[in-house]
Amino acid sequence: MSRKPPGLASLTRHRLTSAQFSSHGSALRSTNAQAFETQLAVFRSLLQQFAQTHAKDIRSNPSFRAQFARMCAAIGVDPLLASSAKDGGGGSVWSQLLGGTVNDFYFELAVRVVEVCGRTRGENGGLIEVRKVREGLVAAGKGVGGEVTEDDILRAVATLKPLGSAYSVIRVGSKPYIRSVPKELNTDQSAVLEAVQVLGYVSVSMLMVNLRWARARAQTAVEDLLGEGMLWVDRQSEEAEFWSPGFMLESEEGGTG
Amino acid sequence: MSTTTPFFFPREYSFPPFFTRQTNLTTHHAQLIKWAALVLAYCRHHRLFKLSLSSAISDPLSSTAEPTSDTTASDLFHNRQLNRRLSLADAREVLDFLRRDGRVEPVDGTTGDVVWVYWRTPEEWAGLVEAWVDETAQRGGVLTLYELREGDATRGAEFHGMDADLLQKALGVLVKRGKAQIFGQEDSLGVKFF
Repeated sequence: MSRKPPGLASLTRHRLTSAQFSSHGSALRSTNAQAFETQLAVFRSLLQQFAQTHAKDIRSNPSFRAQFARMCAAIGVDPLLASSAKDGGGGSVWSQLLGGTVNDFYFELAVRVVEVCGRTRGENGGLIEVRKVREGLVAAGKGVGGEVTEDDILRAVATLKPLGSAYSVIRVGSKPYIRSVPKELNTDQSAVLEAVQVLGYVSVSMLMVNLRWARARAQTAVEDLLGEGMLWVDRQSEEAEFWSPGFMLESEEGGTG
Repeated sequence: MSTTTPFFFPREYSFPPFFTRQTNLTTHHAQLIKWAALVLAYCRHHRLFKLSLSSAISDPLSSTAEPTSDTTASDLFHNRQLNRRLSLADAREVLDFLRRDGRVEPVDGTTGDVVWVYWRTPEEWAGLVEAWVDETAQRGGVLTLYELREGDATRGAEFHGMDADLLQKALGVLVKRGKAQIFGQEDSLGVKFF
């Protein structure tokens, strides 16, 4: 194959071929890029069309909304991430695509979530189960035009991130919690909160038996959480019981009328 | 004025730690707010105008088990199902919290054991009476306090059947505003509305 032609002429020929190769290559590249751009444009317009025709569904139907979000995630579009740096457009992909409806949905929801967290912070120390937030929203009748899923709430909390707020989602055991105070839980505290999920409360001796902790360790963990306002103590039982405030938080039915 | 519908206790009433004073200040504050709301809602529902702390706290099983007095609220601070109760000191703190809010006032002549619970303040009651007077065109008329409280004319008005002393307090507000004048003897008071 590589029979080298001798002589000076070969130099020019070599230059020529390489030039031809590169020009052809760039042509290919540009057609490729063009094709891709067209595809992207088509895809965007289709997604936009889809979102516009289904805007109502996206807003009101939680499972549809979740599917849509999943689809966006699958194709690598983070719907809520502000993409102003990439295309200079400002606003997230969704706000561009959907004229703001979906985006507004999550921003509105985020405001509601912040309200619930703020209202209940006194009784739960700024740590609240996502499920309870949802219950709180439903009870307050503030479903932002339709039903709200836990998935939506998690997404809404994510929209708060650019604000540099303290709001974040942590997992205790298998359950997601929203933390609205900048406070880290150590592993012992997480373990206690996880244990509390089972019955709604724990006692020091329960922790000693189930987690094989020394008394001092169990005592420290619950006292810490008590100090943070994340647990309530009941001293009218035989042994002090430490309760999760989540077991109380719900709509106050009747009574106030 | 016994109400037939049962009072729906809020969720926290079934939450055992609700009856133990919480040590964390923020938590404790949240607890007080909930208790205060509960006391007002409870008294409003049962139309209790006064609350006697000692009788509300004391166990009716050990004392005379008759809910005769109009100031008993035996299940307010005591959840028998849970076997949890608010201690006297904690209950006093709740009432104190309400007092700072203008929703509780010690009844004159008692040692602070019996208090008014203003789920409506005297000013609010005065407003209700005045509105009723306007509605029924009794301005310039004279009514006895008994008529206001028990008369057929006031049947359906919210102040019908209300505590006599509290009504007098409310009318006192109207007197101060120059909207009414109270006259007569201790037990047969009358009021004229302007």
